[in-house]
Amino acid sequence: MSALVEITDLKKYFKSPKGMVHAVDGVTMSIEKGSTMGVVGESGCGKSTLGRVLIQMLAPTGGKLLFDGEDVTNLKGQALRDYHSRAQFIFQDPYSSLDPRYTVEQAIAEPLINARKFSRIEIEKKTTELMDMVGVAQRLRQSYPHELDGGRRQRVVIARALALDPEFIVCDEPVSALDVSIQAQVLNLLEDLQKERNLTYMFITHDMSVVKHISDNISVMYLGQLVETSESRELFVHSYHPYTKALLSAIPSTDIHHRMNRIVLKGEITSPINPPPGCRFAARCPYATDKCREPQKLEEVAPNHFVSCCRVREVNPELA
Amino acid sequence: MSEKFLSVKNLHVHYVTSDADVSAVNGISLDLYKGRTLGLVGETGAGKTTVARTILGILPKPAGRITDGEVIFEGQDIYKLTEPQMQKIRGSKITMIFQDPMTALNPVMTVGDQIAEVVELHNGGDRAAAKKRAVEMLETVGIPAERYVEYPHQFSGGMKQRVVIAIALACNPTLLLADEPTTALDVTIQAQVLELMKKLNSENDTSMILITHDLGVVAEMCDDVAIMYAGQIVEKGSLEDIFDHPQHPYTEGLFGALPSMKDDEDDRLKPIAGMPPDPTDLPSGCYFHPRCPYATEQCSKEAPCVNEVAPGHLVQCHLRTRREA
Repeated sequence: MSALVEITDLKKYFKSPKGMVHAVDGVTMSIEKGSTMGVVGESGCGKSTLGRVLIQMLAPTGGKLLFDGEDVTNLKGQALRDYHSRAQFIFQDPYSSLDPRYTVEQAIAEPLINARKFSRIEIEKKTTELMDMVGVAQRLRQSYPHELDGGRRQRVVIARALALDPEFIVCDEPVSALDVSIQAQVLNLLEDLQKERNLTYMFITHDMSVVKHISDNISVMYLGQLVETSESRELFVHSYHPYTKALLSAIPSTDIHHRMNRIVLKGEITSPINPPPGCRFAARCPYATDKCREPQKLEEVAPNHFVSCCRVREVNPELA
Repeated sequence: MSEKFLSVKNLHVHYVTSDADVSAVNGISLDLYKGRTLGLVGETGAGKTTVARTILGILPKPAGRITDGEVIFEGQDIYKLTEPQMQKIRGSKITMIFQDPMTALNPVMTVGDQIAEVVELHNGGDRAAAKKRAVEMLETVGIPAERYVEYPHQFSGGMKQRVVIAIALACNPTLLLADEPTTALDVTIQAQVLELMKKLNSENDTSMILITHDLGVVAEMCDDVAIMYAGQIVEKGSLEDIFDHPQHPYTEGLFGALPSMKDDEDDRLKPIAGMPPDPTDLPSGCYFHPRCPYATEQCSKEAPCVNEVAPGHLVQCHLRTRREA
């Protein structure tokens, strides 16, 4: 296995009247070919911005982005278009990510037409194949998005993303707007497509049960920074960062007989505008000391398990 | 069992517009007892919110129509009450928390005044007492009293939902209708808000109907559960009945479709086949039969009646007449 996507110290700041918003602030991660990297965190933690930078919809403020070994940090023109045939995006809201005036057929064919590589017959044939692949019935070819329910719309969005046969797809909350029974259908579809086509996913979500189900590795973000990253199953058994622990314990469980001890955090996410150096979580962390005001480093505390917390060994005596 | 104070009997609600007749609620009966929390679970369009709006008497007019059934609250049929009588109940005895705290508050009024407004309307116009109560409520929900004069946009989502909860609980209601109260919030904030609601309900002995699609939230908050599908309650029972012995194929399907948090259960998800029915054109027989893996010919012809499969555990299905222990 080799890494398809490698990012090093990636930063994305936005200007705002109140100062610089540190949306993504020094994220380093690598995603193996054919695997799924889950990115979790609460609203405003920068997970969507990270996804958008990866797909080059936003230019990074700093850092480096390697795709299949090539530097793709600041692509322009044809090189960017070529990159977009290899790296694609699925948005959260299937209601707003389709043009209401495009039929299903037009929506799916659009990326094929834009690629300027295919004849009309090929486009027609590929559109048919894509619809079959994602399970949208051919009779819906001439339907408009408003005539479809959320699950079908998301399938059309997936078909569009797959049109140019990408290797990498950033899925930003692809099932959050869907009901549970439909959500399961779409998750299964994404998994099947990954197996068939050896796709690599970055799966951005706030839903811990979904991320656990679909990911091979998970990165937990807080205010623009990675706080913990590890193999998926490992993270749910041993979480070491105080934020990850609180996040996991806050999930309402359907197990009515075994109650987890809940860590209820005080306060809310602080502002990403001109944040102080040091651990961003310190303001809400029950273990915070003066040491936490210094910049933190990701440290490998167990094989392939990285945590960014200077007190990780004190908080987790089993690691000492 | 404690005192029963709300009872909905065979309720039917339709939304009639010029081009469609939507059967939103199709014969729902439920009872609520003092101090208990009932979870109303179902997917988009199952009719959960319509039930809550009917109880509160705020169905959209003129489209929303109660075509049959009654809602008895503390011995009175609330649809026989006049609007002024209903206004006395609404906001004081029955209150509602809406899903989206961002739109539930008035943007041009300070949060303190919004809480005081409700109290003043129901305490006979004593403004000073209302303000005092508003300050008290802010502190109860964990907002410092000095933020009384701030406007909703100065609050985060979680804080706004606390304000909404403060408004809903300011008059010590007997019944709180909470419509997806934490769906718009992040998990760690959701945990804070749920904890707060649990605490306040038990302190004031408030009964609650909690509307949600999140079975995890139900497991944490509810004593009883009703599962809704296409405007009907397909299964109803105690939390243990529903979570340990789900009987209706739809309930089973809901649990199967949920990614598990338990370890080493990374099996494939089992989605429920097909789509929820179109409420303007409901299937014959059992509304779930087109998606049901166990459906027989009987299911497509006859509507199932409600069977008590165990004491208090009701299932609306031809195939389940008693619970195998």
